[in-house]
Amino acid sequence: MTLSVRPLCVAALVLAAACDEAPPTTSFPESLDAQLRRSIGPWGVVPIAAAPQQNPALVALGQALMFDKILSGNRDIACATCHEPALHMTDGLPLAIGTGGSGSGTGRTLGPGRSFVPRNAPSLLNSTIGLSYVFWDGRLSRGGPPPPEVGLPAGLPNVIAAQAMMPVLNRREMRGDPGDLDVFGNPNELAEVPDSQPSQIWSAVMQRLLAIPEYVTLFNAAFPGVPQSSLTFSHAATAIAAFQMAALMKTDSPFDRYLRHADNALSVEEKRGGILFFTRARCVSCHSGPFLGGQSFSNSGAPQLGPGVGKGAPLDLGRGELPNNQVYRFAFRAPPLRNVELTAPYFHDGSLPTLESVVAHYSDVPKSLREFNPATLPAALQSSYHGDQTTIDDILRTLDFQLRTPLQLTETEQQELVAFLKSLTDPAARDLTALTPASVPSGLPVR
Amino acid sequence: MNVFGLRAVCSIAFLVVVVPAGAQVIPIKTIPIAQGDQFQIYPSNNLGLGGVSIALADSLGDPFANPATTARLRGSWIFSAPTVYSVSRRAGGGRSLPLAMLARQATWYGGLALVLQQVDPSRPPDQGGLAVPWVPVAPPADSPTPIPGPDMRAHGNEYAFGMIGRTLPGNLSIGASALWTGLHALDGVDLLYSGSIRVKQTGHAIDVRMGAWKEWPGERGARSLEAIVLHNRFAATHNVLYADQVWDPALQRTVAQLRTDQNFDHTNTWGAQLKYQIPLATPGWRIGWILTVNRATHPKLPNYEITNVAVIPWDPGRSYAYDLGVGLSKVLGRETFGVDALYEPIRSYTWADAIAPTATLGGDTIATGGKTVENRFRFSNAVFRIGVGRDIDLQGSPKMVGLQFGLMMRSISYRLEQTNHVELTQRALRTGWLEWTPTWGLTLRFADLELRYRGRVTKGAGRPGTQFEVGVRAVALASGTILAAPSGPLSLVDVNTSTHQISLSLPLH
Repeated sequence: MTLSVRPLCVAALVLAAACDEAPPTTSFPESLDAQLRRSIGPWGVVPIAAAPQQNPALVALGQALMFDKILSGNRDIACATCHEPALHMTDGLPLAIGTGGSGSGTGRTLGPGRSFVPRNAPSLLNSTIGLSYVFWDGRLSRGGPPPPEVGLPAGLPNVIAAQAMMPVLNRREMRGDPGDLDVFGNPNELAEVPDSQPSQIWSAVMQRLLAIPEYVTLFNAAFPGVPQSSLTFSHAATAIAAFQMAALMKTDSPFDRYLRHADNALSVEEKRGGILFFTRARCVSCHSGPFLGGQSFSNSGAPQLGPGVGKGAPLDLGRGELPNNQVYRFAFRAPPLRNVELTAPYFHDGSLPTLESVVAHYSDVPKSLREFNPATLPAALQSSYHGDQTTIDDILRTLDFQLRTPLQLTETEQQELVAFLKSLTDPAARDLTALTPASVPSGLPVR
Repeated sequence: MNVFGLRAVCSIAFLVVVVPAGAQVIPIKTIPIAQGDQFQIYPSNNLGLGGVSIALADSLGDPFANPATTARLRGSWIFSAPTVYSVSRRAGGGRSLPLAMLARQATWYGGLALVLQQVDPSRPPDQGGLAVPWVPVAPPADSPTPIPGPDMRAHGNEYAFGMIGRTLPGNLSIGASALWTGLHALDGVDLLYSGSIRVKQTGHAIDVRMGAWKEWPGERGARSLEAIVLHNRFAATHNVLYADQVWDPALQRTVAQLRTDQNFDHTNTWGAQLKYQIPLATPGWRIGWILTVNRATHPKLPNYEITNVAVIPWDPGRSYAYDLGVGLSKVLGRETFGVDALYEPIRSYTWADAIAPTATLGGDTIATGGKTVENRFRFSNAVFRIGVGRDIDLQGSPKMVGLQFGLMMRSISYRLEQTNHVELTQRALRTGWLEWTPTWGLTLRFADLELRYRGRVTKGAGRPGTQFEVGVRAVALASGTILAAPSGPLSLVDVNTSTHQISLSLPLH
């Protein structure tokens, strides 16, 4: 029996040797992808499906209208002047320069006696994606009725068509002031209509358009069942929205591909930045949902500059300027972030010129606001910076609570966040110059 | 309820080897996943003895492991062994119905077997009132495109086995066998693709083996040597249907959009085994040794990571697995005793290929086809099996009753070193766990008929529970082998796998 015991001992030793390992560890770190996908998960960030096909005739009409200065009272500014394809459907300026201005893009200058449009011209990229709110103060929303003072007609197909109705009403942006002469020296009939009569302004714009045979043809093709007498500016706005849907939906960024399960679509630096974005840096608290923003309002401590808006002027109280929205004092729409790399400068007044400066701002908002250097602004705007202590204290008083404690992001972390933000760029959005037509039906210069 | 706090891994690879008589193909598991006894389809006399096999012959099971051992057969038999297995907490189950015949004619012998099998869809374990009940992924009612619901049907597999052998002079027998399996359902695969609506499985497996068995008669009994060489090929395709949430600009809301990922699982294994038994001086006692060598290549391993199935290349890899074992048995009169102890060192190496030039954190670029992640596993596993049995005469009756009890313990311990050439990180994990399987058996022997019941329950492993964290990895489970490179949180809920087999043997006159 001696022999039979030996193998048992051997077996026991073998078993003991096999079990002679350290206790199971639970410290195996997650991969970047595991961390990033887990951090994205709760925030409703999903890929964007393809844009619906648009009626080509509608798109052709919308494109013509977008680039035609005939929509402006003085025939000197088109939608595309402030939403220029070469500048990714914005103008590259902190504050837009409306009618009376000259030049284009970042070289555009104010006309004599004119003042800046009080807010930055947001990019129209992905504007038709289904945003809950449009305009920096969100006064038009997808879910709610339009402000009664605007008098928007019923039956508009979407909020972007409703938005397209608005700039032609705005004296600083497109309509001009009473007594203005247009580029040909003729009286600006749109400017003479009282502000309280938006439907008359829209009718006047349509009169201009339908006096041009090519527009009649375009409208008839786009709205074949609608008699010419029934065409309104709502039809024009609908066409502009269709053009935006057809031409300006740019949602195939590396991050979108990552959302579609392509782990290698993002670099390591971008993934690290993404993890920060969705976790410690708390960017996602405002920039969440399918569009990474566009659904909420926040006072992010942006410096105040420009002529101001409404009763709060010379300050811009943002959504707080709207009736019954005082709680949103200095709060502006958190913009959707796809293609954000291309749409500088940033914030409602374009006060920060680069993504790097934006991320640095968010790293310590109170400090950034207090130490804001107006010398970074274009010379024409420096004097309109409201950097007095009272204003700064006023802004900080209602600062978004998540921004009150500095994030203290390191330089590396800031670089990673910027890298992530750049991963939101659809390569197809980098060059949109092909969208600019050679001419428009009015014969007015396109540029 | 015990929930494992294990942190699991990024590219979850999962090897499947379809080997009903699987002792020659060494399973590799990196996660304590409970596996359904799907491939326990053939009868085994030793199942109730903890599965001891090194020094104790399995008169029913051995022919399927080593065809040459069919030479032990006296006469011809037809038998069946309906087997039912279930995973506790209503996490899955299945059933098999084999019909087999082993026949001998002079020096030739052979066998045929057909098995039909039905595997239930696997579900996350029922966690009682402590968690939200599992609800299959269901499409939103207003999806613009029709979204099919989850497939809750059982699916079937078919097995066909053939074997032939011959006894040669000098107490030498040789044999060869082939097993073909048509696969439509591997237990647990439904759970591998978390968030999917349904997984359609198609595939096949082929196991070809040649065996030899030689005996040297002696005074105290015969010494014997068994040798097996085998080749096993497994190829499966998983068509995984997801309903992704996407924002539809046309409808201006989030909708479900169908996506089908095709996932491949290929493993080829070469193996060899030697088993040597000698009788000891003490009457009835035998001792045996076993040496098994496996070399497996994994041309395609599925990446079960929920969110990147479509893009990350499935990790290829290779494994070398060995087992060294010693066994002792006693068969004297109506008493049977057996004990096995095995040590299983295993080395596995898997990696991920770059499918496009990939920038590393250091600024370098890994060219297409280069390795982005390398996983090196070093296992030190051990298996211990013990069983006792006794036959009892029933007075005044031609019947005899046999009772069996046994226990199998498997200790799994490994170290993983993972190198990520993209993130420029190195990680190490050392972990392990113990699975234990009590077994039991009851045999009724009549003059011309043997009726056996065998049962066992495996504890110490779990199945993925309902996950609430988006992005959490699903984990794999199925037959013999699970090879994964952990990187994400994983929680398993303790489950038991119970197997019940009734086998009926009838001699053919």
